[in-house]
Amino acid sequence: MNPQLSRRRFIKAVIASSVAAASTSGINQAAAQGNRPRGSVERLISININGQTRRVDVAPQETLAYTLRYKLGLTGTKIGCNRGECGACTVLINGVTNYSCSTLTHSVRTRTVRTVEGLQAPDGTLHPVQQAFIDELSPQCGFCTPGQVMSAVALLEETPQPTREEARQALSGNLCRCGAYDHYLNGVMRASGQNS
Amino acid sequence: MSNEYKLIGKDFVPPDITGKVTGKAKYAEDFRADGMVFARMYTSPMAHGKVTSINTEQAEAMEGVVGILTAEDVPEVTAPDAAILTNTPAYIGDPILAIAAETEQICEDAMATIEVEIEPLPFVTDPLDSLVDGGPNARTEGNAYARSREGSGFQTIKWSQQQVDDFRAGKEPTGDFVSEWSYGDLDNSFAEAELVIEEPFVTIGYAHMSMEPRTAMAYWQNGTCYVHGSSQSQSYFMPGLARMLGVETKDVVLISENTGGGFGSKIGAYPIAALPGYFSKKIGRPVQLRVTREQEYYMGSARVGFQGWIKMGFGADGKITASDVFIIEDIGPNATGGDASSAGGAISMVYDPSAMRFRGLPVLTNTTPRGAQRGPGQNQIAAVMAPIMDKAAKVLGIDRVEIRKINSTNNDTIVYADRRPVTSAYMDEALQQGADMFDWQNRKNQPKKKGKKVRGLGVGQGYHSAGATGFDGLVRLTPDGKLHIHSGVGNLGTYSFASTSRAAAEVLKCDWERCEIHRGNTENHLPWSSYQAGSVTIFSHTRTNYVAAMDALDKMKRIAAQTMGGEPGDYDIDGQRVFLIEDPAQGMSYGAIAARAIQLGGDYSGAVYPDDIHEITQRAVQNIAGSGLIGVAKDNLHQEGVIPGLAVAFCEIELDLETGKYDILDYVGIAECGTVIHPKGLAQQMKGGAVWGMGMAGLERHVYDPQNGLPANIGYHQCGIPTYLDVPSVTKTDAVNIADPQNPFGARGIGEPAMGCSVAALQSAISDALDGHIFGRTPISPDMVVNHVMGRDQSFLPLQTNNF
Amino acid sequence: MASFDVMPEVQLFQPAELDDALKLADELGSDGWLLGGGQDTYGWLKDRAKQPRAMIDLNGIEALQGIRKTDDGMEIGAATILRDIIRNEDINRDYSLLSQAASRVASPQIRNVGTLGGNLSQDTRCWYYRRGLDCYRAGGNICYADGPQSMNREHAVIGASRCVAVSPSDTATALLALDATMVAENTEGQRVLAAEDFFVGPNTHITQMTALKPGEILSAIRIPKKWASQRFYWEKVADRDVWDFALVSIAVSMAMDGNKIADSRFVCGGVACTPHRLTNVEQAVRGRTLSNESADAVAPLASEGCKPLNYNHFKLPLMENLVRRAMRG
Repeated sequence: MNPQLSRRRFIKAVIASSVAAASTSGINQAAAQGNRPRGSVERLISININGQTRRVDVAPQETLAYTLRYKLGLTGTKIGCNRGECGACTVLINGVTNYSCSTLTHSVRTRTVRTVEGLQAPDGTLHPVQQAFIDELSPQCGFCTPGQVMSAVALLEETPQPTREEARQALSGNLCRCGAYDHYLNGVMRASGQNS
Repeated sequence: MSNEYKLIGKDFVPPDITGKVTGKAKYAEDFRADGMVFARMYTSPMAHGKVTSINTEQAEAMEGVVGILTAEDVPEVTAPDAAILTNTPAYIGDPILAIAAETEQICEDAMATIEVEIEPLPFVTDPLDSLVDGGPNARTEGNAYARSREGSGFQTIKWSQQQVDDFRAGKEPTGDFVSEWSYGDLDNSFAEAELVIEEPFVTIGYAHMSMEPRTAMAYWQNGTCYVHGSSQSQSYFMPGLARMLGVETKDVVLISENTGGGFGSKIGAYPIAALPGYFSKKIGRPVQLRVTREQEYYMGSARVGFQGWIKMGFGADGKITASDVFIIEDIGPNATGGDASSAGGAISMVYDPSAMRFRGLPVLTNTTPRGAQRGPGQNQIAAVMAPIMDKAAKVLGIDRVEIRKINSTNNDTIVYADRRPVTSAYMDEALQQGADMFDWQNRKNQPKKKGKKVRGLGVGQGYHSAGATGFDGLVRLTPDGKLHIHSGVGNLGTYSFASTSRAAAEVLKCDWERCEIHRGNTENHLPWSSYQAGSVTIFSHTRTNYVAAMDALDKMKRIAAQTMGGEPGDYDIDGQRVFLIEDPAQGMSYGAIAARAIQLGGDYSGAVYPDDIHEITQRAVQNIAGSGLIGVAKDNLHQEGVIPGLAVAFCEIELDLETGKYDILDYVGIAECGTVIHPKGLAQQMKGGAVWGMGMAGLERHVYDPQNGLPANIGYHQCGIPTYLDVPSVTKTDAVNIADPQNPFGARGIGEPAMGCSVAALQSAISDALDGHIFGRTPISPDMVVNHVMGRDQSFLPLQTNNF
Repeated sequence: MASFDVMPEVQLFQPAELDDALKLADELGSDGWLLGGGQDTYGWLKDRAKQPRAMIDLNGIEALQGIRKTDDGMEIGAATILRDIIRNEDINRDYSLLSQAASRVASPQIRNVGTLGGNLSQDTRCWYYRRGLDCYRAGGNICYADGPQSMNREHAVIGASRCVAVSPSDTATALLALDATMVAENTEGQRVLAAEDFFVGPNTHITQMTALKPGEILSAIRIPKKWASQRFYWEKVADRDVWDFALVSIAVSMAMDGNKIADSRFVCGGVACTPHRLTNVEQAVRGRTLSNESADAVAPLASEGCKPLNYNHFKLPLMENLVRRAMRG
């Protein structure tokens, strides 16, 4: 039994951060001189979020969840694991559900992003999914709720009258530790105008 | 109160739910403060050791790094308690230091340069490996820790190899233990038994893994520490947090409007909630500490694991004559547990043996710290007991539901070692209601086998004590006629802060639209409230809001009498006015009463208040005094006996003998928690509890490599939290709904039994599908089923724990 | 011990042309990281357990996209997302084995971005290796999973060599059963590898799961006509029905001659460091009908040669049972 396990992660990280720092300065210089390597990315980009074009300075490695929460103040998108293992950060990209913690912001430049903040009508009316989730008392602690809402919205836009089983499959990439699955499915069915 | 309630028993829209569906609800990490820096923790890579040197030079020299916090900067604690930061880590992930920087990325870059040298110490991940003669101790002070009123302390307890082997072989343990209680004549009761069943069992602990990785942000202003935290409880969190911060409770403000799950892991203040306070003081800037999911696994708490042996005696009629249980509990490195004795209590409550003995041995391991997790103890034993009850029923030729009814808790049941009464209990009714709803009689006669798939029917019972007393209620009527209900209950997601607030509105007959709940922030003037845990909120805070509202009502009538003449008893209320009963046209609006209360001062306006209320409530009253009519009181209502929360579940599974997987085809859960206060909220708790039970029954467990103390399941994926597709699409629930006499509205709590009945029903169903085989283990994973069906040995040693 | 979860600084290239991507891959060599859906990328990078200098995002390259019919079957661009494969009519008609396998990958959100190439090239899930330990696969000289008390329920029962990790890919199992070939390109040109040569075990390359060399990009996957619309069987046994990798999975293609099996491919996932072909089963089923008798007769062959570790001998009967189910008809 040897408790003194070495952690490669630790040693390599030391090396890596210096490499990374050097390479980043390289990019910036190159960009300033206008002869960036072919295919490398600009930092200042426009992204279409909830119907608005937002101009934002994005690091090459930045995840969409990070940009949304910490640069655009859209904190409705939650980070539960930062690993694509829970679904709390689910947003719609071109209408399709994605884990924003596992999406590079630079990959959405030409696409449209929708978050939970973009669902209400201009007069504040809730999206039918949001209203149905209230009516069915779907959320418990609420931390996974924005992700559940987004998965439900994506489903109903493609399949307005899903079966309960279709709803279950569509939402299956969203974990709920409170175990409110039944109530969320009731909400999806209600939002689609069907009896749960 | 009358049966004709205006609000109680009715669904409503809780005030916090809209924020949850719109994303506007703020959790601790969603807050920012001017000048705030980010902190991250560096934790122990070693299961047990002593830090000999820390080199942070390189980190400190990095641009953007603002400061380092080490164990020297925070109060030292005595083992086995958990420190904010430690130099004697006792598990992988034990926090050693923290770094603050301008950005999280700089924090992580700095973290990568930290060098910590740790001198390794012996460690252990399975209590039996520590218990065996010559085995390692998880702490240098010993390997067991007893907590009792008489005194707490470390012990070193060793069993001979033979004793451990015999225990693994299913024999009654003969080694030392640290606690014992009993009642009745055990030997005689076993002698009278027609059937005696002995079974060894293991329930592996597992992590809470709340969705929100706990975050705390803190800053100081004029000597007050403001903490944005992730807490199950609001007021109850305060004294502990203040103690950890080394200040008085009045000098802490806790903002915790929403909490992303807790399940027992955030009941009271936990050490890292205090870390940003110290850090902020040290560097003079607001500090936010966010933990990674991996760290949430390490320090986010976990269920206590059991390794035990039980012997049950049954009469020919199915009545349980005796129960003898011995439980080794895995109490992690911080000696946090107590589950075992609670499990013993649950046996006494749910199965009502005429005689009983409990023996317990809490053993330390260098695994993630343990803590209360939804039904701590009660739910482990619920899982253990279900297949044993089934076996007894089978041998005695009694229906499996019937044998549970024969032993069911009722109003006359006397429980626990001190033989206490219960406030009320209707287990028999719950079983009958569930059996009817599930169509048990019909289903049990259906054919079981269909090719390689076998149906299994299960029935399970859950219990947890479900109420506490002595907390305070605080309401306020303002001149605009609104009723303000101040709640120090936390927001765990059960909506019980709101549903119990409705008790005050019910008493004062207020329209719910005219009520406002104040909560979530100490500065909202919140009373001393119970922990949002232990299934207590519904019972405890319908009572506190009742007494506060009754105090307000009394004052309203007194003011009416004083203003309009007559005696207070001549007046009644209708929700908007206080009026003269004999001439309802004469009266005062609630608003006018409130305005008058302000003029009159004294106890009407809160200038004077009862002297038995908690200091937290006193401060709240002082701060709102003069703003309306104040109703404030401590819950001194009559209470005696154990307040049970009971639940039963029925389920049908289809188990695939070739893959070891099963589908849960149907699930019915029945709550026995007195009067239903909030039907949808109750259904939600019953269903969420069902999912938790399903996770415990088949999926969730700690896995540690005993060779190095490494945990295998540090993320959501490896922890095996049930997904949509691992649980039934529909779960059915209902409630017995018979009022408890010791609550003004007849209500008791339910959160924890909601899970216990589920894990029990599943264990029962799996056993049923496999011709009564008892694995004596949670979780039952597909590999175990395949091995059993194919007649192969299991991979693990009998009673091994924290393993695959 | 640090715990990381923020993306560290790393360069990003988003080439629009395959040639540019190949040049970048060539220049960067092992410092470059090919980015498909990224679902097996960000964890490694956030953990700082893998330290590429730059990511080469392949998603903007049209040549790597799409599902095309060819003279000899079908060609799927490596950057085609699993969602498109699952929904493709031609695949569902002719090669439902692949769409079935793809539909059991991880979760909907991951299938919405996960590419076929990425799913095939993903690294093993051995939890010791994923912790960033210095094991063989990470360039060290120890296997933590193969110790006397190691927790190795999910590890290999066959084909291990020093490293006992298993291939996690569901689509790999299906594609091996479909006799697919992989098109790998670099600046020099392209080579076409049989699926069996594409996936490599620790005997060949202990630090990688595929035969791709630094600078090479998997550009397409070709499925031959031979197995189009044949009889298929797919099943995956995992603890949870979302996210989890297979404890054991099986992908079977069978060409029938009347009611007899003329030819077949049986492939198990989750049992070896590569998708594991059950060649002895394939031989034994030739000429047999699908029946309980056949099932019982050939099933025991499935686990021949297996050497279980401490916690995974259940995989042997599970492999046998899955073969049994495929053979019942």
